[in-house]
Amino acid sequence: MPIRFNDTKLGSLYTNFEAQKRTNPNLKLGQEQVLQLVALVGDGNRGWSANKVAAELAKPGVSRDAQIALVKGGMTANEKKDLAAILDQGTVPLDPSAKQFLEAVLDRSAPQPPPPPPTNGLAVSGDQKNGLTGTTKAGATIEAINISTAPGGRLHMDDTSVIGKADANGQFNMAKLTGDQAMREGDLIRMRARYADGTTSDWLTVKASGIAAKDTSNATVALFRIGMADAGGGKVSVSNINSSRQVSEPGAQLEFTNKRTGEKARVTVTETGGFPDGFKLNGKPGDSFAVAASDGVNNTAFTESVGNVTVSGGAPQTTDLIPDPALHADELDSAGKPRFSKTNFTGPLFIDGAKPEDVQQGQIGDCYFPAAMAAIAKQNPDAINNMVKDNGDGTYTVTFKQKDWSSGRFKDVAIKVDGDLYSRSYGGALYGHSSNSSDPKKMELWFPLVEKAYAQWKGSYNEIGNGGHSSDVFEAVLGKDGQDMYISTGNLDRVFDTIKKAVDAKQPVAAGTYHDESKYTNTGVYGDHAYSVLGYEQVGAEKFVILRNPWGESEPSGNGANDGIFKLKLSEFGKLYQNLMYTN
Amino acid sequence: MAKPPEPIEEVMPQATWVVEAEVKEVLATGPAPAAPANAKPGATSVGYKSASQTVKLTVTNVLKGEKAAELVVEKPVGSYSLRPGNKGPFLIDASKTILGRYGPDSWNLERVKSAMK
Repeated sequence: MPIRFNDTKLGSLYTNFEAQKRTNPNLKLGQEQVLQLVALVGDGNRGWSANKVAAELAKPGVSRDAQIALVKGGMTANEKKDLAAILDQGTVPLDPSAKQFLEAVLDRSAPQPPPPPPTNGLAVSGDQKNGLTGTTKAGATIEAINISTAPGGRLHMDDTSVIGKADANGQFNMAKLTGDQAMREGDLIRMRARYADGTTSDWLTVKASGIAAKDTSNATVALFRIGMADAGGGKVSVSNINSSRQVSEPGAQLEFTNKRTGEKARVTVTETGGFPDGFKLNGKPGDSFAVAASDGVNNTAFTESVGNVTVSGGAPQTTDLIPDPALHADELDSAGKPRFSKTNFTGPLFIDGAKPEDVQQGQIGDCYFPAAMAAIAKQNPDAINNMVKDNGDGTYTVTFKQKDWSSGRFKDVAIKVDGDLYSRSYGGALYGHSSNSSDPKKMELWFPLVEKAYAQWKGSYNEIGNGGHSSDVFEAVLGKDGQDMYISTGNLDRVFDTIKKAVDAKQPVAAGTYHDESKYTNTGVYGDHAYSVLGYEQVGAEKFVILRNPWGESEPSGNGANDGIFKLKLSEFGKLYQNLMYTN
Repeated sequence: MAKPPEPIEEVMPQATWVVEAEVKEVLATGPAPAAPANAKPGATSVGYKSASQTVKLTVTNVLKGEKAAELVVEKPVGSYSLRPGNKGPFLIDASKTILGRYGPDSWNLERVKSAMK
């Protein structure tokens, strides 16, 4: 006999489950479905919406006891009868944990004896579809780190986040990692419980399952942490140059292919994310090794390489701390040799933080890059201040964001560079530089170093110096999806609104001109060029866009000092510019 | 390609003439250069170039070189093109080719005069 529900929403959802049962006779209601049901009854007494209750129930780290209390506190007498009917007369079976949860909500369950403490102080049960569920000591906090995603960033293996708390019975459920650490199918989660007295359980590593049908995330490899050195006798020693952080996830296999000899060798990443002591390859100084990884599920044939690592030369150490990105092809002579040499710049990384006027494009066709960086410096200087770190040893680490298209998430990519910059014979950096000084001991370094790191990441200055989109740079710095909007005389109001909205929200904007140079001569604006959009103005009905030429000079006349900053009427902007680049 | 203009200090030594002038007439235009391969839509600094031109300049002031009222000069394949009425400082080499990545827009008159000192 069908249940007569007092709460129509609850009735509707349960009827839906009954319909699913008819097509799937094996259907059982689990914790996820029961939480959907109780979200509809937890709203009654509080005046909350069901969505609000559902959100509270699903908050990372909320304990089972807290969930039960939340539902009981919002439930009316009639809704309680509805839940009792589901429990007693329902035609869709409940799995044991779901049944126990409903019984607890209805105060039917006998007091649960504390579960026996797990042998190592922490145990995880079930899959991770709804997060991590398990037992430990009552009241302990649960700490975890995703050691599959961590190698791409700067976390140590014990840089955990608190993801939940055990209730009075020692149970925790729906504990989740978030952001870059969010669990994906097959990820390794390293976790422990921290007790009230400050002591901790043993570490426990869980392989996440039940999140997706397939594990599509291969092991991440931090190439920049792989050090190779001549060990003599035709051997090369391989080590983790930052042993407190991971090269890859424990258990992953890395295959090294000597590009000179073709010889291949594999190694299994240790429990600490590095290499076994004494790991060596056959090779000699100058050899380059292609590195491929597999987590045992993805890339099992090791056909996809993640990059190359080169054995440092056996010659005496030079002052070049890190190999530099190659020059743009325009700066090579007919024999392919560089026409410019490098100078070590040792000036301050920042002078009063990052500012748009610091940015000066050099002799390279990467205007989209300085235009984007100046726009970010205007709207969100902290993003730049935080992305460049002085390591104190003549090197700097620049951290970009790279989108993982399989998951849609961004991960950190740390690029280490030194202060060597290609320079002119009479002084000053050839490529991107800063406005304060051309003196190698005084020039503010953040912009040329970020540009150098971008070239290093992408392969060379040639790779970044033949055009691009500022929106790609916004993504690489901010980890937010970039957007492009084409400009026409018919959408100028929408263009202005987009600029206004982005600028007001402190989001960077850039604009690109057309490739048809014939329209630009004597306008003060240049074709095939990107500009930072620094702001907007509205005077009565007249709208203006404030722009900056990344050269740091050259602008339409009548705009004050020749600093590259100028103002255009929106109508004029619409004639000279073809697209707007911004972030969500 | 929207690289900045070359440093004027590198270009000035090659200039036989430095003049303030206006384009009177475009006498000839060379073949259109091929578009860059694999240029992505909306990208900038891709390297599109305009055809070479032969233009007649009306000279209003000679800052360096033989005095002349008109000059017929060559605008090389590059990042700008000229139309009648375009004006500015022109740096011209011995083969009567306009110097500077953006012709009369490469450097303003003040900068040119300063570099001549």
